[in-house]
Formats: sequence, structure tokens, C-alpha cells
Amino acid sequence: MDWEGQKRSEIFMLISLVVFGVVAFGVGYAIGSFQIMMLIYGSGVVLTALITVPNWPFFNRHPLKWLDPSEADRHPKPQVNTAAPKKKASKQK
Amino acid sequence: MHSFMHRLNNLVTFAAVLLAVLCAAASFLDAFNSPSVHAHAEVIKINRFRKQLSGNDEASLTLNISMDLRSLFTWNTKQVFIFLAAEYETSKNSLNQISLWDHIVPDKDHAEFQAQVANKYPLIDQGSNLRGKKFELVLHWHVMPRTGRMIQDKMAVSSFYLPEAYT
Repeated sequence: MDWEGQKRSEIFMLISLVVFGVVAFGVGYAIGSFQIMMLIYGSGVVLTALITVPNWPFFNRHPLKWLDPSEADRHPKPQVNTAAPKKKASKQK
Repeated sequence: MHSFMHRLNNLVTFAAVLLAVLCAAASFLDAFNSPSVHAHAEVIKINRFRKQLSGNDEASLTLNISMDLRSLFTWNTKQVFIFLAAEYETSKNSLNQISLWDHIVPDKDHAEFQAQVANKYPLIDQGSNLRGKKFELVLHWHVMPRTGRMIQDKMAVSSFYLPEAYT
């Protein structure tokens, strides 16, 4: 998944679970069946997991643009000096 | 998230927290149920009243019990445990409670009934104080939920006296 896909996946997961929780509680309370609440919520968790956890292609619509290798070779990485450069004290005369 | 397991962990944790919230909400709503229990129990006959070899008094009774517990059941009720206790006072203890009979009510359909039973558990005193004693019959119930807090309450239903002499 790319960055945008990760963000979308997480937001969808949070909203989906909360919605399923609220619906499960509402329906269960209205009918008076604890079992129905658990069933709705459980299937909601499984469904959300199936949608958000695996690496589906629709989460990869904004792929990262890695630098082309031939372009990278033309601009070599700058060498890091191991010795610290001496500070030139400016003498004022 | 960055990987499959990362996202799976995130989802499972959040789902578990939400489940705890749902159960807490279900239990919380139980507090708003105002039940009205109708019950009556009385001693029809004293089958036996004697002094055991150990020196303790023992009584055996036949009880007539009728009750309507349907209003105790909510969607979050697993079962209701009821027991009938005989309460009395002696010089040694200010309150003695002896369970004579108990029952588990599994659902609303079984919550209204009538029964004539001998006491399941014998009425045995700590000592020999029961002759001519006044007893109060109290029905206790424990509403056991599917999740959350258990609610218990009681109601006095009748009183009776044991005879002055052993039978």
C-alpha cells in the first residue's frame, strides 16, 4: 500500500467498525436479542478486516515515484567528510 | 499502516475495545429497568420439628410458592437465581438466614409459576432456639446478566411460627 492508501485504509477501518458497533447495538436493543447484536458486530469485524487489511490494488492508486536508476547515477551522492573541518578564525586587523 | 500484520493488529485491538464499549453500554441500560415482582410463599405444613443428637434444632416444612418474575428479564439477562430464606433472631445472632429452597429461572417463559414443595435444604439452627420462634420468609433474587453488573434484591413474603414443642 502507498501512503495515501494506508491513510484511507485506517480511516475506513475506524469508521466501519464504529458504524457496525452502533448498528449492532441499536438493532439488538430494539429487537431485544443480545445474540443478534453479537452476530451483526462479529460479521462487521470480519467484513472490515477483509476490506482494510489485505493489500488490495485500490489502495495503491497513488504509487510513490521512486527515482529512475539511470537518473540517480548522474547525480552521485555527496561524500561525507570524516574529519571535521577546521574553523577559520577571521582575523581582523 | 505499514504492513499486513500492522493493520491486522490495529483492527483487532480496536474491535476488542469497541466490543467492551458495547457490553458496558448494554449493562448500563439495565439500570433503567424498574421491575415489579409479585411473589407469595407460605408454610402450609410443618412436617417435622425435632432436636438432633448434636443438640441442634431441625425443622422440615412444606411450602407453597407462587411468583411472577417476568419484569426482571431484559435483553441482557442470562438467568435469574432465586432462593427463599427463613430469617429469625436468636440471643446469639441478631440475624440468622437459612436458605430453604432455590431455583434457576432460565428465561422469561419460565418466570411465572406456582409450586408446592418441601424445603430443599433443612432448617437447622445453631443451637436449640427454635421452639415458638417467629420466622420471616424472604424471597431473594439475583439477576445474572450476559455482560456486566449483577443486580440483586429481595422481598419479604410472609411469616410463620414454629410450635412451642417438638412434633
